[in-house]
Amino acid sequence: MLLFRSEEHVERWCAQWRMPRGESFPVERCWRLALAWFGADRREPLWRRRTAEECEAVFASLDFTSPFWRMTR
Amino acid sequence: MTETDEQAAFDAEVRRYVYEHAMTEGVPPQSAVAAAALSCSTDEVRAAFRRLADARVLVLQEGGGEILMAAPFSAVPTPFVVRSGGRAYFAPCAWDALGVPVVLGRDAEVEASCGCCGTRMSLRVEGGVLVESEPGSVVHFALPAARWWENVVFT
Repeated sequence: MLLFRSEEHVERWCAQWRMPRGESFPVERCWRLALAWFGADRREPLWRRRTAEECEAVFASLDFTSPFWRMTR
Repeated sequence: MTETDEQAAFDAEVRRYVYEHAMTEGVPPQSAVAAAALSCSTDEVRAAFRRLADARVLVLQEGGGEILMAAPFSAVPTPFVVRSGGRAYFAPCAWDALGVPVVLGRDAEVEASCGCCGTRMSLRVEGGVLVESEPGSVVHFALPAARWWENVVFT
């Protein structure tokens, strides 16, 4: 997951590295995703990784709902 | 307590120490450091690192048993430097870089650069709010979520 100055720079990077276009969104949305994703204290004994369904629920709560964000079959 | 319960408890203790170390020292610990702190052998810690990697809690360095990533922290230098509380942290990617101030619960500055042209880009988090980022800047996820673990170093 890389940071880019603009969508145009994403397009240029994808072309340069022959990478398919993934999904891009404003940094502010990525901040909200980081808040939701990393909010639980990983030092806690009962902490565990989210299941695929729980990951999708986090994405959906932030309106990341396209097939790109699907983790379950 | 069964042997399985004991192993799970040990792995949880290793995980706690890995994150405690990363938060206070800037990087996840090497196995020998964790072994000394937890009063056990390096082999025991490396076995726990392996189990935690199998459970996708950690990512290990290729060809060795040491930690490469304990998200959002990187054990090796990366282009995403997070400065907070007088310490520098390296993050594997843009998402993780923003995860560092969340995990630390502190204000932070992220120093990064445009993945395309290399222009320096700064982000700043204050009081739990992203207060500074370049207008128009975006984060690009190259691979869909279902494929992140095919090659977690490149996503």
